[in-house]
Amino acid sequence: MDFQGFKKAVIAKCEALGIADYELYYQSAESTSVSAFQHSIHQFTSSIEGGVCFRCIWNGKMGYASTEALSEAEASAVVERAVDNASVLEAEEQVFLGEGGKTYQALPEETREMPATDALIAKVLETQEQIYQADAAVVDGSSTQGIAERSETAIFNSRGLDLYSQGVLTGLVVAAVVTDGKEKTNDYQIKLAPIEDIDTEELTKKAAQTALSKLGGEVAPTGQYPVVFDPEAMSDLLSAFSGIFSSEAAQKGLSKLAGQEGKVIAGENITLIDDPFWKDAPMKRNFDAEGSPVYTKKVVENGKLNTLLYNLKTAAVAGKETTGNASKAGYAASVGISPFTFYLQPGDITEEELLQAAGNGVYINSLSGLHAGADAISGDFSLQSAGFMIENGEKTTAVKSFTVAGNFYELLGSIRSIASNLEMPGMGRFGAPSVLVDGLSVAGK
Amino acid sequence: MISRELCQRVLQKAVSTGADYAEIFAENTNNHNVFMIAGKVDSVKDTVVAGAAVRVYKGLRSVMATTVDTSESGLLRCAEKAADALGQGEAQIDIVLKERLFGDIHPVREVPSSVTNARKVEILKEGYFAAKEYDTAIQQVTGNLLDVDHNILIATSEGLYTQDRQIRTRIAVSAVADKGDGAQTGSCNPGRRMGLEMFDFIQPKNVGIHAAKQALTMAGAGYCPAGVMSVAIDNGFGGVIFHEACGHSLEASSVAYGRSQFAGKLGEKIANEKVTAIDDGTIANSWGSINIDDEGTPSQRNVLIEKGVLKSYMVDKFNGRRMGMPSTGNARRQSYAYTPTSRMTNTFIAPGEDKNEDIIASIEYGLYAKEMGGGSVNPVTGEFNFSVNEGYMIRNGKICEPVRGASLVGKGSEVIRNIDMVGTDLDMGQGMCGSSSGSVPTNVGQPLIRVSTITVGGR
Repeated sequence: MDFQGFKKAVIAKCEALGIADYELYYQSAESTSVSAFQHSIHQFTSSIEGGVCFRCIWNGKMGYASTEALSEAEASAVVERAVDNASVLEAEEQVFLGEGGKTYQALPEETREMPATDALIAKVLETQEQIYQADAAVVDGSSTQGIAERSETAIFNSRGLDLYSQGVLTGLVVAAVVTDGKEKTNDYQIKLAPIEDIDTEELTKKAAQTALSKLGGEVAPTGQYPVVFDPEAMSDLLSAFSGIFSSEAAQKGLSKLAGQEGKVIAGENITLIDDPFWKDAPMKRNFDAEGSPVYTKKVVENGKLNTLLYNLKTAAVAGKETTGNASKAGYAASVGISPFTFYLQPGDITEEELLQAAGNGVYINSLSGLHAGADAISGDFSLQSAGFMIENGEKTTAVKSFTVAGNFYELLGSIRSIASNLEMPGMGRFGAPSVLVDGLSVAGK
Repeated sequence: MISRELCQRVLQKAVSTGADYAEIFAENTNNHNVFMIAGKVDSVKDTVVAGAAVRVYKGLRSVMATTVDTSESGLLRCAEKAADALGQGEAQIDIVLKERLFGDIHPVREVPSSVTNARKVEILKEGYFAAKEYDTAIQQVTGNLLDVDHNILIATSEGLYTQDRQIRTRIAVSAVADKGDGAQTGSCNPGRRMGLEMFDFIQPKNVGIHAAKQALTMAGAGYCPAGVMSVAIDNGFGGVIFHEACGHSLEASSVAYGRSQFAGKLGEKIANEKVTAIDDGTIANSWGSINIDDEGTPSQRNVLIEKGVLKSYMVDKFNGRRMGMPSTGNARRQSYAYTPTSRMTNTFIAPGEDKNEDIIASIEYGLYAKEMGGGSVNPVTGEFNFSVNEGYMIRNGKICEPVRGASLVGKGSEVIRNIDMVGTDLDMGQGMCGSSSGSVPTNVGQPLIRVSTITVGGR
């Protein structure tokens, strides 16, 4: 059974049970992944996945149930399960379904096709050879993965919403393993873009050179230093702590930003922007997970918190309008809140000037263990790091196996300078330029 | 689920272009989760995950195709896609399937789907309010009661046709305390490979109290000082140190590709002789246990390191080909949508002979890590990190004041040489381990151990 047939069966069941307010959220994806090891393709995956999340308002509560099995029997079961699940809920906040008839920012029509499998394989094999050519220190263990995915999302509800969006996502993941004969080290680079547009020579060189720079690294000496986070490290920090901008976290006492709207929460040099239409965003959609129109906003402007991020429920609690930031981590998840493309506005000095300003300190280009070592509630972080020492304004010795510790709320007020080199690494959802922060604790040898 | 006869035809189609091995993995899983926050039941979710994957191998190449359409035509199309992607050739194998039952050593008395939402809410509330009402400094509590009913079917070109049902239950309570100098979190998340009878053994109330106490302790604590020191790591979830520092680097997914610090080291002494480490998926009702792995190989007890000497890797069929080693029953996948690879089950450092009091007394200045949080590792270099959820300073052989914000970093190959005292009381903790084949339930475990020297991150 396809989604349309399933939808009809669900509507019939809702009518039979007298459920007036309901919604179907459908997501499906068709994807191909190709991986090369040594000089040939060793893994190939072609998947079709997708499912439906049904939710309905039952006695004032929102019941959820989801399924991947689109059949007549499941259409009926999913409605019954959602009602059963709603019947034990106690939360008193009013619940909402998105209303139809809203105006959405026009997006250019998605015309991209999935790349042909042969073309994807050829690109992966060619890239894999380039890794070996990037440097003599590159060894087996290096790999290239090509990914292509067509996904579609539909929201249909009893309040007149009937939205659809589709998109194609393609990219390459390059992993370089290098050795100096004594030890091995590695680096990953991800680039999401149309396959034919990816500069694979640049990508493989970057992976190999970054891996090489970690060879022979020393453990940094323990102490308090000015720290420069590169765009990737700063984006990772922003990503780990982005949850503090959620109004839901604030309303539940899980963010210190509760009650801070309109107040200064960061240095004057800090402007944080949420832009659903960021030019290079790998996927753009003009509606959020509740079907509300999305728009670009300055969440923090020159240090002042303009707004938290809202969905329909939290906006109603606060007596505000939704900011169109309803999100779902997968089709089956309940509606939460997150930014789209969230980034720190760049400054106007170069990274070299930033290093000069730092004088002596530590340059961090890699942070690990953010899921464990960053506590969004207190803002505290203590994270495995790697990078370089900064001496007299220049990057010198490679350093690794140390931690950098601080507090994100405090860090927002202690960023001394911001460079102009904005990047959106990895999946492209969070971005930052290099920043210079005073007085962070480094634990090493 | 899918009949033996249909599986036979699907596999025959899968090997039609010359594959030397083919496999069907089908699943029907129900995930259920009750969530509480702010004193109220906030959401109840349940999700049916249903689909199938067909994999084929030819030499060192593998192809997988997945589908949510498990009808006859859907499965045959999926097999055809896999066969086509493998290339051109002719069938080399005749598929004849025989049903085999491996048995189930994990009895379940209360299957989650037969327990009402109301009863689940009652259990969760007992844990939730035990935390919430423990102290006025507790500002917020969240609670989850999760259950999973995971039904799998595996058929392979070697003739295997089998099914397994894996039921798991877990409660998780997180408490946030603030005594005026910053909010701190405490948590407790026990889980078992059993049904709701889990709560006959684990009192939800104690789960809540544990979380609240930890939050309160940390809320009153100062920051952990940074530096290199001796660390005593307690039993239970403390075993995450072996899991991260060493376990991931012993998985075939790293070893087979030369992406492991321990590749080519079988039979060599890689750890302190006090260290014996085991991966055992056969412990009855244990969180990380499996009857069979996701390639249909029975789970087994694998001694990974014996008295410091590397004895075994954790191997799945596909990566085992490259290594010239048989499967050790460690192939796992979150769902049909993920390509399975070698993963851990219940992994622990075996009990030693050191007394707990001797371990603490031996440390002049260091950290006592009573409870660990999560971590991660780069298997290529062995560089790992994890956070300490509840830590205390040790001075002159005595446990002193609590400290917050500590993390441990180091290199796996060095830290397992530095585990120089191993206590007697083994205990396990439950986690969800994330890797290329998705998120799978794993136990970590150890007795109290001493790491003679390691970098402690703090400020």
